[in-house]
Amino acid sequence: MRTILFAMRVLAFCLIASGCAPKEVDHNAPVTGKTPCIALIMKSLANEFFSTMAEGARKHHNDNKKTYDLVVNGMKNETDFSEQVTLIEQMVARSVQSIVIAPADSKAIIPALKRARDAGVLVINIDNRLDPNVLIEVGLTIPFVGPDNWEGAKKAGEAVARMLTKGDSVAIVEGIPTAMNSQERCRGLRDAMNDAGMNIVSSQSGQWEMEKANSIAAAMLSEYPSLKAILCANDSMALGVVAAVAASGRSADVKVTGFDNTSAVGEMIVNGRIVATVDQHGDQLAVHGIEIALSVLAGNSTPKDTTTAVDLVMRKDAR
Amino acid sequence: MQDDPRIEPLLRVENLSKRYASPVLREINLEIMPGEVHALMGANGAGKSTLARILCGLTIPDGGRLFRSGKSFAPQNKRDAQTAGVIMVMQELNLLSTLSVAENIFLDRLPQRAGFICQQQLTRMAVEALQRVGLSDLLPSTIVGTLGMGVRQLLEIAAALARRCQVLILDEPTAALTQREVDLLFSNIRRLQADGVGILYISHRMDEIRSIASRVSVLRDGACVAQYPTGDVNPNQFIRDMSGGESTFVLPRVKKNKFRSTVLTVEKLCVGVRIREVSFSLRSGEILGLAGLVGSGRTLTLRALFGAVRATSGSVTVGEGASGLFTHPSQAVAAGMGMVPEDRRHDALLLSQSVRVNATLSTLPIHSKRGWLNVHSERHSTNRLCDRLKIACKTPEQTVDELSGGNQQKVSLGRWLERSCEVLLCDEPTRGVDAASKASIHNLLRNVAAEGTGVLVVSSELSELFSLCDRILVMSNGRMTGEFTADNWSEEVIHAAAFKGLSTAHRESVT
Amino acid sequence: MKILKDHGDTVGILAVWILLVLLFGVLSDHFLSANTLTTLAGRIPALTVIAAGMTLVLIVGGIDLSVGSVLGLSSAVLGLLMVDWKVPLVISAPIAIVVGMLAGTVNGLFTVGLRIPSFLVTLGMLEICRGAAYLVTRSQTKYIGASVEPLASMLPGTTFPISFFLSVGVVVGLQVLLEKTILGRHIVAIGTNEHAVRLAGIDPRPAKILVFLVCGTCAGVGSLFHCARLGSADPNAGSGMELAAIAAVVIGGTSLLGGRGSVIKTFIGVLIVATLEAGLAQIGASEPLKRVVTGAVIIAAVSVDVFRRRCIGENV
Repeated sequence: MRTILFAMRVLAFCLIASGCAPKEVDHNAPVTGKTPCIALIMKSLANEFFSTMAEGARKHHNDNKKTYDLVVNGMKNETDFSEQVTLIEQMVARSVQSIVIAPADSKAIIPALKRARDAGVLVINIDNRLDPNVLIEVGLTIPFVGPDNWEGAKKAGEAVARMLTKGDSVAIVEGIPTAMNSQERCRGLRDAMNDAGMNIVSSQSGQWEMEKANSIAAAMLSEYPSLKAILCANDSMALGVVAAVAASGRSADVKVTGFDNTSAVGEMIVNGRIVATVDQHGDQLAVHGIEIALSVLAGNSTPKDTTTAVDLVMRKDAR
Repeated sequence: MQDDPRIEPLLRVENLSKRYASPVLREINLEIMPGEVHALMGANGAGKSTLARILCGLTIPDGGRLFRSGKSFAPQNKRDAQTAGVIMVMQELNLLSTLSVAENIFLDRLPQRAGFICQQQLTRMAVEALQRVGLSDLLPSTIVGTLGMGVRQLLEIAAALARRCQVLILDEPTAALTQREVDLLFSNIRRLQADGVGILYISHRMDEIRSIASRVSVLRDGACVAQYPTGDVNPNQFIRDMSGGESTFVLPRVKKNKFRSTVLTVEKLCVGVRIREVSFSLRSGEILGLAGLVGSGRTLTLRALFGAVRATSGSVTVGEGASGLFTHPSQAVAAGMGMVPEDRRHDALLLSQSVRVNATLSTLPIHSKRGWLNVHSERHSTNRLCDRLKIACKTPEQTVDELSGGNQQKVSLGRWLERSCEVLLCDEPTRGVDAASKASIHNLLRNVAAEGTGVLVVSSELSELFSLCDRILVMSNGRMTGEFTADNWSEEVIHAAAFKGLSTAHRESVT
Repeated sequence: MKILKDHGDTVGILAVWILLVLLFGVLSDHFLSANTLTTLAGRIPALTVIAAGMTLVLIVGGIDLSVGSVLGLSSAVLGLLMVDWKVPLVISAPIAIVVGMLAGTVNGLFTVGLRIPSFLVTLGMLEICRGAAYLVTRSQTKYIGASVEPLASMLPGTTFPISFFLSVGVVVGLQVLLEKTILGRHIVAIGTNEHAVRLAGIDPRPAKILVFLVCGTCAGVGSLFHCARLGSADPNAGSGMELAAIAAVVIGGTSLLGGRGSVIKTFIGVLIVATLEAGLAQIGASEPLKRVVTGAVIIAAVSVDVFRRRCIGENV
């Protein structure tokens, strides 16, 4: 019974993952009727954060089938922005009314988006903010809907700082160094630490990956016996760090924080192995973007930047 | 004429020395005059190949000097030597099997226009070059991988002749050739001679040297031990000089074996259009020769009955076993067959592995218990084999690549001796092997037959077949065209049979 | 002296490792400590078993690019079984291993049966397994927790985790297989000259399929060690690990062309790769510098090996 259920689940997921209801099978057919078509372009759907985001969008679409059509696309490799450029071009060729995009690169994607705008497509930027300077350079204004990564990270940093004493040694595990959200989060963490007078002894990249973060943390723990906290730029890395801390037998001394509030850290928050993470309500992020796109398309509002809520998650309010 | 002091030699070698772990060349002196064919003899490992490699820039000598028409000549690489007109045709062929005949001949100087190969010009040049070696029927666009060894050897020579060449070094050029091709090569050599080209001719074959060379130098252990005009000496003299006085070359004597049961029956074996309805049988204790021109289908027949090539129809019966066709060599081996392939480096040996690993490859189950190897037993058996076959290796752990051609061949053959094969197939068992090794391989095959194995030998050297075999089959153009015994065989009748299938057919279908 | 003669290359590469350890000992205050060694022993088991399996594949003349993804898929299956279906480790671990074994067998069957280069088959398998891993977990990291961690806990009386000893066991086992069994001899022989092996009356196909099977199985075993160390099953687990494994194998002197190699030396290769990573992190090197140095060490280690072989007159 279980296996049948599982098989059906896999099958259903395949159908959903292929991104379209049966009526949308003909990708090249022009969109007819009044319902606008919105293309959601994500980063890797293999990343839990983005798959959650996509699921949120699909749910929203299911509840509003009459109002709009939705096409969801993800890419294989987080850092391969050329794949995203191809997707943008495909969507423009499909003549969608709006593209809601989580850019893989803050700069390199802009020329393709400009071409989309020139073709009359409304573009909404979610999650990872496009570089404002480049936008000005090409004379483009694209509304941004997303969380303030800096603020979220600062909240997490402040929470952990309250558990430490001034002058304690802390370390930061960064994401991919070139990613804007990694930079913002690390800036937030650093600001919180500096404000609280903590001593940041090391800050290295874990490439967003659990295994890499685990190795980095193990090395940090060996090198700095007095380490009191390791702050991570996402939850996946926080899981790897927790394992490294446990392996070194210093779970009681070293605090770990994450970011994203993924399902796997829920239990960790409850048992205190991760003291804090930040929920940026990923499932609602794309929905916000879609809603703004719909409202602009309907002529109800003009495009403008919107900051979405970021909430600190700690033990008492863990799910 | 070559002793005339007024004529500058094309190539002069003075006190040339080279050593690796031990000296391989000691103070060699040699001259090649314009229009001279200078033969170089010596057992394998005497230093012939090293000398040749130095002359064409592949090896740098440790001492001594070279002069090219009186000017100092120190080639650092193959191109230096080629520029000076010194070109070598290697014993181990260097053709690229995925390229065409024309591309192989002109590989390093393809006619081009703006980076594109100029096909028409290339084809024209290739046709010319092929005509020069008598392969005028071969299409320049043929892929080399589809050609037999003999044709490939001629191609190498064609490639060398297509260059501006003043000194040509031929290393065992006739090893893979049939008599007709040898005659063709010799007429080419004579033509080059007339043009004033000097030729260094390395070979083991005394009759060839006597017919083509005017002077011969004999190497032994890296030193030049004798030098004389070829007319002055008899074969035993060569052998004595090469082997240090004592003659190891025993004139073969055909011993009449008593044949017992039939161990191999081949009926109407066909491989596409290349082998057509070949039938014969082989008896226990018999050595059966398979003669024919290169490309007549001898090798293919061997491979087809061994299961290395899929036969299209026919049947093969080994001993008391069931009739049928083998689809994989492992089936043939399980049925009691063994095969010594023609190209030992490519088809038989694991060059980078030790003598032991090579020698025991087909007999691992004997040296193991439930899949676990007994290395001690392997060593023991390898040592025994080395003693029996006089394989010159330091230890069983020496890599086969370091052995001379003759010793390599003995390892390839020795692999089958530990298991009692009912049928042993040998394809050119003495190709590129020195005279001493050749004699011992012959003796070995006779012993194997005396123990009851049926031996099938493919050879392009008729004298080898005459001395070795009880019976000779002749193939021509994929068919069996003759069967002879010692009572009625002669070079003439065998040649006649070998050309029988060609009288009406085209040459292309042969190559 | 005899040891030096017979195992000169092993000693040489071991020296490279020791040199690296000493170098980091100088550069960092805390590197030369029991703690570092324990950490190292904790992080290498997965890479060790995968590189050990990869060694056999390279020796037989193939390549397996799918190992990282197979590890990801096995991890995903383990996570699904243990977290969602609450299956105990003793049952789910063998299933995870069997998943790896199946992937390896498919690799082998296609490579050998259809004579497709293993590079292409395993490249396809890399994509299939990674995709399947995402499907199985719905792209979510599964937190398994304490039920999987016993594998990574210290062997009583030592400061090394159980997984480390198990992985060393795999290394020794495969080395023995390679040196002492007919199968091992066939593997080496096929890698040297498959054509000659065939004409020597040995069917090379079973051995080749088996090698890919073993390699896949190793990836399955690696997934257990990986999950045990991290306490979680991550569908992204092992991405890029195939390259780290190939690097370790090549540093260990195994030829990419087949026919030559040793699992023991691969293990030292793994030590070198892991030490480098740990050491660079401990001295706080920046990400770009880490990559440059790691690449340089791979090239240097292989060059030293090639140079040494040339010196003793071996054909490379």
